[in-house]
Amino acid sequence: MKALQWQGVNKLAVGTVPDPELRNPGDIIVKVSRTVTCGSDLHLIGGYIPFMEKGDVLGHEFLGEVVEVGADVKRHRVGDRVVVSSFIACGSCWYCDQELYSLCDNGNTNPAITETLWGYAPGGCFGYSHAMGGNAGSHAEYIRVPFADVGAFTVPDAVSDERALFASDSAATGWMGADLGGVKPGDVVAVWGAGAVGQMAARAAVLLGAERVMVIDRLDNRLDQVEKYTGAETINYERTDVAGELRERSGGRGPDVCIEAVGMEAHAPGAHFGYDQIKQQLRLQTDRPIAVREAVHACRKGGSVFVLGVYAGFVDKFPLGALMNKGLTMRGAQMHGQRYIPMLLERMAKDEVVTEHLATHVMPLEQGPEGYRIFKDKEDNCVRTVFVP
Amino acid sequence: MGRTGRALLIAAPIAAGAAVVAAKRRGGRSPASRRTHVVTVNRPLSELPESLEELSRSVEISLTAAPGDRGTEIAVRIPEGSPVSEGEVRRALRETRSLVEVGYVLSPAGPPTTEKTLLNKPLRTATEHGREGGLL
Repeated sequence: MKALQWQGVNKLAVGTVPDPELRNPGDIIVKVSRTVTCGSDLHLIGGYIPFMEKGDVLGHEFLGEVVEVGADVKRHRVGDRVVVSSFIACGSCWYCDQELYSLCDNGNTNPAITETLWGYAPGGCFGYSHAMGGNAGSHAEYIRVPFADVGAFTVPDAVSDERALFASDSAATGWMGADLGGVKPGDVVAVWGAGAVGQMAARAAVLLGAERVMVIDRLDNRLDQVEKYTGAETINYERTDVAGELRERSGGRGPDVCIEAVGMEAHAPGAHFGYDQIKQQLRLQTDRPIAVREAVHACRKGGSVFVLGVYAGFVDKFPLGALMNKGLTMRGAQMHGQRYIPMLLERMAKDEVVTEHLATHVMPLEQGPEGYRIFKDKEDNCVRTVFVP
Repeated sequence: MGRTGRALLIAAPIAAGAAVVAAKRRGGRSPASRRTHVVTVNRPLSELPESLEELSRSVEISLTAAPGDRGTEIAVRIPEGSPVSEGEVRRALRETRSLVEVGYVLSPAGPPTTEKTLLNKPLRTATEHGREGGLL
């Protein structure tokens, strides 16, 4: 079958790979109908997460049709249209019982790497390096889905492929940031990053009853989408002082909940961006925590900061003093998709969550390398590139 | 320096750090410095799971009810002179947890789509022992 493969740092190619096989009784094989780029893929492509092998298939956000089922699968049949959580979870361990699915004890076949790096290993993920299990990704014609009764969800007829695709990761990740960040009616919420995840976090905050939601970015096309599709306000950080703006728009208190949806390759105007770039290049930090610093500083006393952006290792100049002295609650997570996808599909069917606009570029899988180039360079106002295998 | 070179410089400390710690964990410890390896399975257990029976001939295994209804703590101590390695114990504990909780052990994806290169040799070595390394 055809697949988009990582061939080395900043090298992608579409190649021919063996078709995936059922390996466990809880597996299904899905014929991928849509699969989408994610900003966190760029960390893999660029070598920031150094656990890729030549030939690895990328992609973790997808939907498709079930074409084969394992002996133990009960919830799915051949022909089902399913959207699949990007994180792989068994549904039986203590973490799955707590609905902390991305922390599953049994979903990562290579726990040693992340256990060594971080103390304990999170679960596995599709197409996201051998540190996350080395699972072949979704930028391919077919994909094996383990624990299918737990992680694959039948898409209601009322929801199109184009919309349901983003329930797989972006919408679930965004919802998690607002939910676990503790957004409640009357809150003021700030979201850093107007990509797909940031937009979905903002929409979730609005639907959870926040009084005022503000999304911060520098790209006008993304901020325009925020205003049109999420019901949130916008702040362009290249044109104004973000901290001052947030203070002013929150009655001087600061946002109750700050959601960071940017990640380790953050940009910013001014000297501190150069500082973080140099620190990265000198190997004195692995990630650029520009948006996290700003969120911690801007958050109100006793507020909550949720880190949705992907980070790999260590950062410098983390404002621990602000965190401690302002009594903040800080939390982060890879996404617990299984917890949110059924609810999101219902909301999508009712038009409460819309996502089609995120797919600014749709192209065949054969154009995968070009699709990622456009996505990475944000060319032609690209928000996400969707591939149709 | 090109983008690729910069990225490798950034990635290097993560990979090197992980490799060094993983290697340190795999070998070089005297039996006296070995800690007890403990895993909690999310089920009440009254007897040793079948998957640990063979291992139990060479190591000491105890079962304790975990606090807060979290299941059962399975603790393994490797006595001096035992032929069993820490890696074997880690693998057995991880696989036992999967067998008890899920009924099977998750297999890696396949068939492989990757190819061997000199650059990915250390990573391949690490993933060949993916359930034996780490901190458990």
